[in-house]
Parts: sequence; C-alpha cells; structure tokens
Amino acid sequence: MMNNILLVARREIRQILAMKSFWLTLLILPLALALGPILGETLDDNEPTRVVVVDRSGGAAAAALEARFAEDDDRDVLRSLSRYVQRYELESADPAAPWTQHDRWYTAADIDAFRASGGVEAALKSIDAVRPEGVPEFEPDAREYTFLPVPDELIGQDGEAFADVAQTLFDSDAEDAPEVIVRVGENYPADPRIGLYSANQPRSSFVTALQETLTGDLRTRLLAERGISGAEAAAIQAAAPAIEVTTPPPGDGAREALLVRSIVPLALAYILMMSLMLSGSWMLQGSVEERSNKLLESLLACIWPEELMYGKLLGGLSVGLLMIAVWAGCAGIAAYATQGVIADMIRPALEPVSSPVIILAILYFFIAGYILISAIFVAIGAMVDSMSEAQGYLMPVLLAILLPITFLLQAILAGKEGLLVQVLTWVPLWTPFAVLARLGMGIETWVLVGTGILLAAAIALELVFLGRLFRASLLASGQRLSIKRLIERFSAQKQ
Amino acid sequence: MAILEVSNLVKRFDDILAVDDLSFSVAPGEIFGFLGGNGAGKTTTLRMVLDIIRPTSGTISVLGGAPDRRQAGAIGFLPEERGLYSGMSAIDTIVYFGRLKGMNFGLAKSRGMELLERFDLADRAKSDIGDMSKGMAQKVQLATSLVNDPELLMLDEPFSGLDPVNQGLLENEILRASERGAAVIFSTHVMQHAERLCDRLLLLRKGRKRFEGTLEQARAQLPVSLIAVSRHDPSTIPGVASARPNGAADDGWQEWDVKLDPGVAPGSVLEHCTANGIGLRRWDERHASLHDVFVELVGGEGVEQ
Repeated sequence: MMNNILLVARREIRQILAMKSFWLTLLILPLALALGPILGETLDDNEPTRVVVVDRSGGAAAAALEARFAEDDDRDVLRSLSRYVQRYELESADPAAPWTQHDRWYTAADIDAFRASGGVEAALKSIDAVRPEGVPEFEPDAREYTFLPVPDELIGQDGEAFADVAQTLFDSDAEDAPEVIVRVGENYPADPRIGLYSANQPRSSFVTALQETLTGDLRTRLLAERGISGAEAAAIQAAAPAIEVTTPPPGDGAREALLVRSIVPLALAYILMMSLMLSGSWMLQGSVEERSNKLLESLLACIWPEELMYGKLLGGLSVGLLMIAVWAGCAGIAAYATQGVIADMIRPALEPVSSPVIILAILYFFIAGYILISAIFVAIGAMVDSMSEAQGYLMPVLLAILLPITFLLQAILAGKEGLLVQVLTWVPLWTPFAVLARLGMGIETWVLVGTGILLAAAIALELVFLGRLFRASLLASGQRLSIKRLIERFSAQKQ
Repeated sequence: MAILEVSNLVKRFDDILAVDDLSFSVAPGEIFGFLGGNGAGKTTTLRMVLDIIRPTSGTISVLGGAPDRRQAGAIGFLPEERGLYSGMSAIDTIVYFGRLKGMNFGLAKSRGMELLERFDLADRAKSDIGDMSKGMAQKVQLATSLVNDPELLMLDEPFSGLDPVNQGLLENEILRASERGAAVIFSTHVMQHAERLCDRLLLLRKGRKRFEGTLEQARAQLPVSLIAVSRHDPSTIPGVASARPNGAADDGWQEWDVKLDPGVAPGSVLEHCTANGIGLRRWDERHASLHDVFVELVGGEGVEQ
C-alpha cells in the first residue's frame, strides 16, 4: 500500500513542479520580501513638512515656534542616538553625554548640552572612534518640519484674501511651496486668535505643539505683565518633572517584545495559510484533471481509492513543505546578508520557538494542519467535473477557513487572548493556525497537548468520512450533487 | 482452471438491477466476447471483477481468488472512458501504470519501450500525452494495460474511437495476448470484431445473460432462412416454419423466402425434397449473422455491424 501511496505522491509532486504557476508563486514571496523594503523606502515620505509662520506681532511667536520644533527634532535625534548606542553598547564613546544615558526623558537642558557639545556631528565623531567593525553607522531620521521664509504673496494679505493666497500656494507645484501656514495677528497676544492653514489635514502632533508653545508664550507674557521678570517667567514655564524612563532593551520586553516574539509564530501561521491555499488549489486541479480526463477507472483498477487520496495528500504536503523550506532558506539568507537590525530582531524572535518541544509542536501542528485542510481540497476535487464547478464549492470553504483566521491573527497582533482566540484554538479546523500564532505569546502545555490530541482525532474522523466521500464520488461523474446525495456519500460503505 | 469465474452475480444500485444472476467463466488463452446494448451491465460486471465496486450477491473468482488490488499485477484493463495525464510523457505514463501494478522501474520502462515500438510510437516516447493525437494517446493507454503482460486482459469497448488501422493493431494485440495464454475478455458493440476474434460469446440484456457459447452456437439460435425456387409450396415440407412467395411465378416456378424451424438443418429439408420428388431450381441457404442474433436476443439498440 505504501509503495502505491508514494508513487501517487511522487506523480503529484512532479505534476505540480511542472506548473509555471508553482515556480512563479515560489519566487513571488522572496521577491516581494526583497522588493518590499526598497519600495517602502521609495514610497516613504522622508521630506519634512514645510511650514511658514506669518507673525505680524513682532516675530517673537514665530521664534518660539521654530525653537520648539527644533527642540523636538533634537530630542528625537537624541532618543534614537541613545537607542543606537544602547543596542551596540557604545557608551564608552562619551559616558557623560546625554545620548549615553538611556534612562530619562531628555529635558531642554540635555538638549542644550547636546547642542553645545556640537550636536549629532560631534556625537558621531566620538562614536566612530569606538564603533567596532560590522556595527552599522547611525542614520538620524529626517526632521519632521522645516520652516520657510514668508512668501511675498502673503505679505499685506488679510482675511479671505490671505486664505485664498494660502490655498494658491498649497496648490502650486513648486518644490518649496508651503504645506502649513500659521498666521499670528498684529494684535497678538491681546487678540490670541491664531490662523492655521493647511494643505492637508494637519497632524495632531503639530497642532498640539503649536498650542503648547503659544500657550507658554502667552502665559510668559501675562506673567511679565504682572511684574514677574522675563527670566523668572521663563523659569516657571520651563518647570517640569524629571521623568525617569525605563524601557526594555531594543527588541525585547513589553509590547515590542510581544510583537517580536510573535513574528515567527505569526509568520508560520501565515505561511501555513498561504502554502495551503496554493498547494490546495494545485491538488484540486490535479483531482479535477483525473476526473475530467476520465483516467480514474484506469487508476482504480490498480490501486485503492484510499491509496490515491493519501498519495495526493502526501504529494500536496511535500510540495507545501518544499515551498516553506525555500521561503525559510530565503529568509535565512536575507537575515544573514542584512545582519544588523534584522539579526537583532530575529534573535529574540526565534527565542520562543527554539526549544525542542516547541519545534516538535510546530512540526506537528503544521503537518496536521496541512493534512486537515488538504483533505478538504482533495475531496472537493473528487466531487466535481470541472474547475469552474470546483470554484462553487471552494469559495464557501475558503471563507469559512480564512475569515476567522484573519480575525485570529489580528487579535494576536493586538496582544489579545480573548474568547475568539480560545474558541479558535479548540476548534480543529482552526487549531493549527491558532496554536502556531499563539506560540509567541506563550501557550500552556496542557492546551498544546489537548488541542494536539483533539486535532489528531478530528483528522482521523475527517479521513474516514472524506475517504468515503472521495471513494463514492470518484466514479459518479455527471451526477448533480444534492445535499441528500452528499450525505449518502459521506455515509457510504464500499458499494 | 478458469482464470475468471463469475457465479450468480447480482448488482443492484438502489432500485436498479444492473446485473442479474450472471454466471460465466473464461479460460486461459480464450477470447471471450462480452456483448450487450447500452446499460446491459457490461461495465458494471467488469468493475466488480476489478474490485472497483462490490457485488450485491454472487461470487467472483479472479486467478483463483476473490477480486483484490493485489492481483493488479496480473490484470490488464482498458476502460471504456479513456484518458491520461496530459502533462506526462508517453513512456512515463506507461511506467507509472506498470509500477502501480507492482513492476520495477527498469522492467516497466523496457516493456513500455517495446510496446511503443510495436505501436510505431517509439519516437514519441518522450512526448507529452497532451501533444499527441487522440489515436496515439489511445495506443499509449492500450500499452498501459499490456505493460505487465497480464494473465487476464479486460477491454471495455476497446474498438470505439479507433480508426481502421488501429482497430487492426488492437485485434493483433488481442490475438497476441491469447496466444501467450492470457484470458481476454472484451465488450463491444461492433459485431464484426466479435465474429473475427471471439472463441466464445456472452450476450447480456438488462443485466441478464441471454446467451453464452461459441459463434456457431450463437448463430444456431436463429432459424436458417433460405431462398428456394420451386413449383411446390415449401410451407408444407416438415421443418419449414414459413414460406412466402417472392414476385410472380415464371411458368409455374415460384421464388420463395423460406424460414426453417429453429434447430432444423437445411440439409434435412433438402433431403426431404429430393426423396419426395420436389423439384428445385434454386436453394440458397442464409445463416444468421451475429448481428441478427444480437438483434433477436438483445434488441437492436446500440448495435453496430
């Protein structure tokens, strides 16, 4: 029996490997993975938002705004520099510098000190002196906002005319056309109204910063009016708690850690889903060909229907595993080639799936999932006479499988393990996906064992019933398949 | 000992009685014709012999045992509905079926190449089935049934769809298999093939056997008819079932269409005429053809000359 199963499986594999669609699919994923970051970088908007501040109150408000956004930008640079230094343990570059102290929120004083010591250029010079070979260079993120001089068109404009000119400027194709215009009136702060004109919906972070800065400016002026000196007013405004920040090292801990730890398990669940859909459709195509080419009778004269079905399942499983091996190989090569950030991500990502028990569990649920779903495809293939007829059965089956999985993966990405996740874990149709996806979050051993046993029982039962359906359907071509006939076939013993 | 022995076989599909108390046997080297109209139960019987479906009752003995896939190595089968994997080459297809029948790769390949050479397809051995003509593909399929030199060769409507040249090739293969001792059973609608090839025949109607025996025995099932020219009315002669005048008499000599009683030999009637001084100017005997027998026993539906 085994010999015939292997022969059928080998033929299935050869048939699928001879399909152009197989090779296209096999290459599409690595290509997409390779091109994704390149395209992402191309599509990423790294250009800072161009801002014009028309300050007719004397220029103090505009200066305050520019100073605030410059401070924010420098804080971002300090923060990312600090994480870079922490990741590659480069604190020896300058132990006293704020960017080698990772445990606090950077205050204005830190930023001043950073600027006074020469900013990012000086910091990078110090880092380069101690940076070991192989550690990538630090690349600061682009600044979020850039402030442009007031365009001539806006000078002297007021009211609706100002708005019209602003709109004209927004509509212009010029590279230096403003995207945001802030108008501070002549009577500011007596008249505290601020006009904000934006080409697109303004970012809330921008509006918040604007609000905070001008509020501070207003309050400083009001304090000064009440006899408090400018320096004292500024000190009051600058009073802020010193926040100590404790964050996990890069790629570890809390939410970031959860995501990183779930990367491999979620990818496994995705890959299982993708390769199943692909190899399932090829298996279906093979079954339909056997029926439509009327070669089943020749086959059934030599082998049992069960051998044919198991051979097909084994063939499909082998192709699926081959695809996954190729994809995993490509991912490994990509990780080795890029090292750096990806390697840093992969190390903690592989942690939850590196114990022998978990590796065994992955293999078990992966293979079991493959058999469970592939058997449905093979049975559909045995029931229909054409691919178009197959589509009719395939759509509801695919929806029933895929929709809950989509919700499941989203729930796990959001770090939730609610009722939906629990239910899907215990329903055999979705068990392999749920268990694989949950491995990163940690899954109790008893759940792993319990779902594994339930899944094995479900597959055994499925193979019995789908085996009957397969056998009863093989030679029943041209029959209209009613529910009654389907039930008869499910319960059919050998005719 | 018979290679195939079927006893009191019954197959019922819900309310339909597809095969009704059928018994027959096929001996080694024998070519056995399985004749019947559409829906007579021929394919159902062959499927039961192959264990693709199970009988409702009755027994089948194939090569001394119950039908089983383990006997696939000794059986060759060509189904009525033919088809192969379009993306597979001719030789790979033959090897695949050979291996499913338990042959090793080397033997299956060498036998496959022998068959392709015999079928004048050696140069197309590596061509995909999808790139071949229908006739070529049918020859490849025939090769898949012969690759294991079967002891029991079963061919379901093997001549349908074949051109005269390939029909001749198939006839040769049937004779070749029989000569090497294989039992050959084939179903057909085409009576001339059965007349040329079969040692024995079985006529099936609605699942029930109507006749089993040799071609001569089949012909004897129908009375002999003859044309006689005589002044005497033959209907009065013993053994004559009926005599109908044909055309006008010429000087008293009348042409008669004469039908004899079943089982009556024309010679005995001729002897009676001679002994009783009945003058005869013409005596043309016309024996029943297999086609006539088929039409008489099975009905005209689905029969080809």
